[in-house]
Amino acid sequence: MSSTFFDRESTIAGPGFNRFMVPPAALAVHLCIGQAYAFSTFNLPLTKLIGLTQSAPGDWNLKELGWIFSIAIVFLGSSAAVFGRWVERVGPRKSMFVAALCFGGGFLVSAVGIHLHQLWIIYLGYGVLGGCGLGIGYISPVSTLIKWFPDRPGMATGMAIMGFGGGALIAAPLSVLLMANFKTATSNGVLETFVTMGVIYFMFMMIGVLSVRVPADDWKPSGWTAPAKPKQLVTTANVAVDQAWRTPQFWLLWVVLCMNVTAGIGVLGQASPMIQEMFPGKVTAPAAAGFVGLISLFNMIGRFFWASTSDYIGRRNTYMVFFLLGIVLYAAVPTTGHIGSTALFVAAFCVILSMYGGGFATIPAYLRDMFGTYQVGAIHGRLLTAWSVAGVLGPVLVNYIRQYQIDNGVPKAQAYSITMYIMCGLLLIGFLCNFAMRAVRANYYYHAPAAPQRAPA
Amino acid sequence: MKLRLAVLWIAVGIPLAWGVFKTLQNAMKLFQ
Repeated sequence: MSSTFFDRESTIAGPGFNRFMVPPAALAVHLCIGQAYAFSTFNLPLTKLIGLTQSAPGDWNLKELGWIFSIAIVFLGSSAAVFGRWVERVGPRKSMFVAALCFGGGFLVSAVGIHLHQLWIIYLGYGVLGGCGLGIGYISPVSTLIKWFPDRPGMATGMAIMGFGGGALIAAPLSVLLMANFKTATSNGVLETFVTMGVIYFMFMMIGVLSVRVPADDWKPSGWTAPAKPKQLVTTANVAVDQAWRTPQFWLLWVVLCMNVTAGIGVLGQASPMIQEMFPGKVTAPAAAGFVGLISLFNMIGRFFWASTSDYIGRRNTYMVFFLLGIVLYAAVPTTGHIGSTALFVAAFCVILSMYGGGFATIPAYLRDMFGTYQVGAIHGRLLTAWSVAGVLGPVLVNYIRQYQIDNGVPKAQAYSITMYIMCGLLLIGFLCNFAMRAVRANYYYHAPAAPQRAPA
Repeated sequence: MKLRLAVLWIAVGIPLAWGVFKTLQNAMKLFQ
């Protein structure tokens, strides 16, 4: 059967192809889907669709709207887990195209929901359809990048996953700009912004679809040979996805990612009120918004920095740094509040958030080290369920413990201390799981079926 | 190939640089 434009066979790179064409293709997808982190920009305008200047009877409230992001993150994790093997089979072009259709389409379906003022359509559009676009788009370039950069897998995947962090930096001001541009006397511009963003994101993701290539099976970077003696905890064998998730290593890595993300995501969502409450009278609301921007920037930079560093110091050691340094910094945060040092507080969270991003970006290379390249994208997809769990666990821990403390008479400025110590506990669990990591046993290895032997003439 | 490579990097680099610039502009409020 002849292959079509979207099939893996049509994307095999010819001789002389420059492998540095692939990271921007991956970035084109991740810069778009990273918009998810900036979805909260729409929350307030969506509460004023009827009232326009203020919420009117019949307008949606923030609690109802909060579910849109939660559904999207749950579908990100589930679709990455469910469609991971399909993504490996059909290759990056077809999967990126489907991701573009789902993510762009999610915005357009949501626009219909805004027009009809039906929240369930937005849950279905941005949450379910868009969430599937997020999950498929997130994993689609990972295994391709690892195959193109066997010498620097951390740097390559770090570059792509950095795009996910960068996507929020673009989407937040872009959404504000578009809503201001489309605002009229009868509309606050959200509907038009959703339509525009759906089209823009679809077209931008098509840059990735059109330019991505996979290497030929026997391709290697020129002048590079695989090390004769592999490093500790770097396998030369392969493990199939169905075997990988039966190994203790998969679940250890699952907990490692879950703990690292839980610690960071709760803080990221609560950063603005936290800095204002810990430094009352010293930090204003606009300054707190600046703080959120700054830690988002470090979240992005950390993805590239830590993943690239892991190529030199090893994945296990990189996570050791995340957990040990994280414990020290989280434990120090209450003290920065007591001594009133905003600078130390900001510096601590910049490093913490860089390690949060670094955790996401280093995990694909860690998976490659443990399970080989054969189905690393699919294994990565299944591991992302840890993100979905952490996406619920992190904010719940931070918000509920804070509220419990305040309800029991603890001053707001000190209401985060217990939370910080709980985060230290979570990081300690992650540290122990990472410490327990050993090479996968040979009985889990995948052996390719032997080629049929030709009968003698 | 080199031209295509440059165009691709510029296509993803410009929006990313704009996002970083706007974020830094916003972050400056923290230090004022």
